[in-house]
Amino acid sequence: MQDPKSGVKSQTQRLVITTIPHAITGEDIVAWIVNRFKIDATEARAMGTMMVAFGYIYPLQDHKRLILKPDTSLYRFQTPYFWPAQQWPVEDTDYAIYLAKRNIRKKGMLELYEQEQYNSLYKWMNHKWDFIVMQAKEQYRAGKERKKPDRVVFDCQERAYWVVHRPPVRNIWTEYRPYGQFKPRVKSSVSIGAIVKYATTYKEHDPLLHSCLPSNPWLTDDLVLIKHLIKVECWTFSFGELLMDPRGRADFRLFLKKEFSGENLAFWEACEDLKWGAAETMKEKAQQIYKTFLARGAPRWINIDGKTMDITVKGLAHPHCYVLDAAQTHIYMLMKKDSYGRYLKSPVFKETQRKAIAPEPHRFTRRPSLSPIILRQQEEEQKAKLAASGPVDITQLCRFTAPVPHLAVYTGICEAQSTASPGLMTLPNSAACPSPISVAIDSTPASERRFDGNGGPSSSHFPSIAEASVSEEENQTPALKSRMTLSLSRLLRRGCNGPSVFASLSPKCAVVSGGGKVQPLGVEPLAQPQPRRIANFFQIKVDIPPECRIYPIDSEDEEDDSPNAARGGVKEIICPWETVTKKDGAG
Amino acid sequence: MPLSNNKVADDGTSTQPLQEGKALVDSLIKAVACYRHLASCIGGCTDNSSLRRDLWQTRERAQTLALSCRNHLTARLRDKTLPEAERKETEQLWVAFSSCLELLHADMCKVFTMVKQFSLANNSTMVQTGIQGGTTEVAARALSLHGLQEAGDGPQTSSMEGQELSQLEQEIAQVDRTLEDMELKVNVLRWTVEALGPQYADPVSTDSASLALLSIDEEAAQGFCSRSQMFAAMMLCGVAIFAVVLSVCVVFLV
Repeated sequence: MQDPKSGVKSQTQRLVITTIPHAITGEDIVAWIVNRFKIDATEARAMGTMMVAFGYIYPLQDHKRLILKPDTSLYRFQTPYFWPAQQWPVEDTDYAIYLAKRNIRKKGMLELYEQEQYNSLYKWMNHKWDFIVMQAKEQYRAGKERKKPDRVVFDCQERAYWVVHRPPVRNIWTEYRPYGQFKPRVKSSVSIGAIVKYATTYKEHDPLLHSCLPSNPWLTDDLVLIKHLIKVECWTFSFGELLMDPRGRADFRLFLKKEFSGENLAFWEACEDLKWGAAETMKEKAQQIYKTFLARGAPRWINIDGKTMDITVKGLAHPHCYVLDAAQTHIYMLMKKDSYGRYLKSPVFKETQRKAIAPEPHRFTRRPSLSPIILRQQEEEQKAKLAASGPVDITQLCRFTAPVPHLAVYTGICEAQSTASPGLMTLPNSAACPSPISVAIDSTPASERRFDGNGGPSSSHFPSIAEASVSEEENQTPALKSRMTLSLSRLLRRGCNGPSVFASLSPKCAVVSGGGKVQPLGVEPLAQPQPRRIANFFQIKVDIPPECRIYPIDSEDEEDDSPNAARGGVKEIICPWETVTKKDGAG
Repeated sequence: MPLSNNKVADDGTSTQPLQEGKALVDSLIKAVACYRHLASCIGGCTDNSSLRRDLWQTRERAQTLALSCRNHLTARLRDKTLPEAERKETEQLWVAFSSCLELLHADMCKVFTMVKQFSLANNSTMVQTGIQGGTTEVAARALSLHGLQEAGDGPQTSSMEGQELSQLEQEIAQVDRTLEDMELKVNVLRWTVEALGPQYADPVSTDSASLALLSIDEEAAQGFCSRSQMFAAMMLCGVAIFAVVLSVCVVFLV
């Protein structure tokens, strides 16, 4: 580039008295680049600007803007000492010395941003400050020894270097104001108080801090949708929490249906869909919403005040995805102030709370859970196999296995009976077990494993208590299915012993509320849970691939290693059919 | 900063070593400053053997100064009988000295890299940076020599350059070791050292000429012709006074 023949034409910069050679004009640079690399002018200009921006060439006029102007403005090559190619660290000490030097040369020459930087450097490099000042002075004096034009050149070089590495701070936010620019300023005491409040409220429910939730989202991929107590508690914190949780929203919807004010929630959901949904259908959606909710005589007319309605209607003339924001906020507030409070006191919510179980710590093993795709495939396979396999209780099949939505809510056994929707169990410990059985078992989709809860039971479900407690004791994690059968079998065997079983079992449960109530009610549910358990039992049995049925022996062997003092290690072959017959005999 | 190379013998033993230390550190700072000026010329159009020689000489000087400084300061700081005020001052000198040495080390590394890339043998790769003059004066300042030394060496061969490179490498390693030694031997807590001097250094001299040259680029234009304006004003005043005196004389005489 410097070649006198084929390089950029070199000129001299004329200052007041002196002339300094080796200046080049912007247009010459651009022309040379175009020539050399055979590219067009804009690209050459961009390339030149990059060179300037990095600091290989610096402008002599307008030195703060590091761009290449394709006119007669002058540039010069930077000395290799200041090149960024070597990637030497840019030291703050050097910067401080530079600023001090400029200050020595003329007091008050520093710009505002430089002033600020100088002050902050003074503060944190205070111990070196004498050195910095002295060095600045010495450098200045040494510079005096040079010839004047050289001094000027050196000053220019240094200045250009620092413009590259400590660019002047431009207040870009004054130039470009995005939506939401005028954020209200909050006092830090207020915001810190809010953070503290949030932290204390959510401390118990954070899956990271409290590792005792099954299917901790930090640890497994499985979507275990057990409605457990802690999550339900979250809903009481704020309305937003309730709405964000899909199950909470479903519950709230149920409640609103009872109160005949479901259109509010429907409208809110429609607005959310409008905001976050696909843009191409936005107009139609907006129109649809208007027709359904806002127009006079609409089927699901919502009650918003006149002013909001006016704004909304006006906005709908030119719909965009936020056109219904005002109305949505209004409805949200309405729900929050009115329905939410009533919901929290309602029987629906109380029911939900009761059904939710507190989760038990999940003992994870090394194996990661399978991807949902594989799970779904296996689910399909299972269904195919079930359809193909023979004399199984078809009734149970139809009732519990056929519709297998992955995201069904687990509500314990009772709900399976009370509501028509299948109460599907998902195994909390679906993130498996090391034994080979577990491979097969894990392959049974999570939704198909009706495992009666691993956690501490809620107060009124004793089968779950019993089973849960039994399973609790088996602390290791061999095949869950086999554990299930084992526990059930044991329970059924001891069913005859009646309340003593429950009594002995209950203290073992880590239940707060259930403990007291277990005993008196112990006898009662004995007769009751049996048919249910049969149902469950069949569910389990049905869902297991044929290979699995052989294995319970092995797993039982494994299981028996776990200490089970009260029971003793009972070894026996569990065959679901047999147990059923036994139960029939015993019951 | 007064350069006190002469030892003042009648000040008492306590201030003398302190002054000595200060003088050493000052010289070192000066040498490092000059070294930086010289280093900025490498690879530029004025890069030649004399520049390299100047660099070498300045480096040598800086290193000897650094060594003597280190010995001196280490001895003082390890002296347990040192009074508190002097210890503080010595610590400040120590911090200045170590920062200076770090700067020198950085510059030496930079020079090392650049010398590898910009070999003197291949003169065409030198960047035309607009520098015209030599740097002998700067070197002379660093070496505290008066009078210029003319370049006497002939063109350098690549083997000589190779030698220089290896020597430079060794010297860098030595400075490294010095720094490490310093840290090990003397425990000076940097954050306890406070700056004595002012935040803003006083302007040493207002060189209106170079200011003017630079400020052509900047927005504010300097009054370059203030000198001539003052001269003219003085002339006018002189003439006016002369006229007054003349008229007074005339009045008296008449």
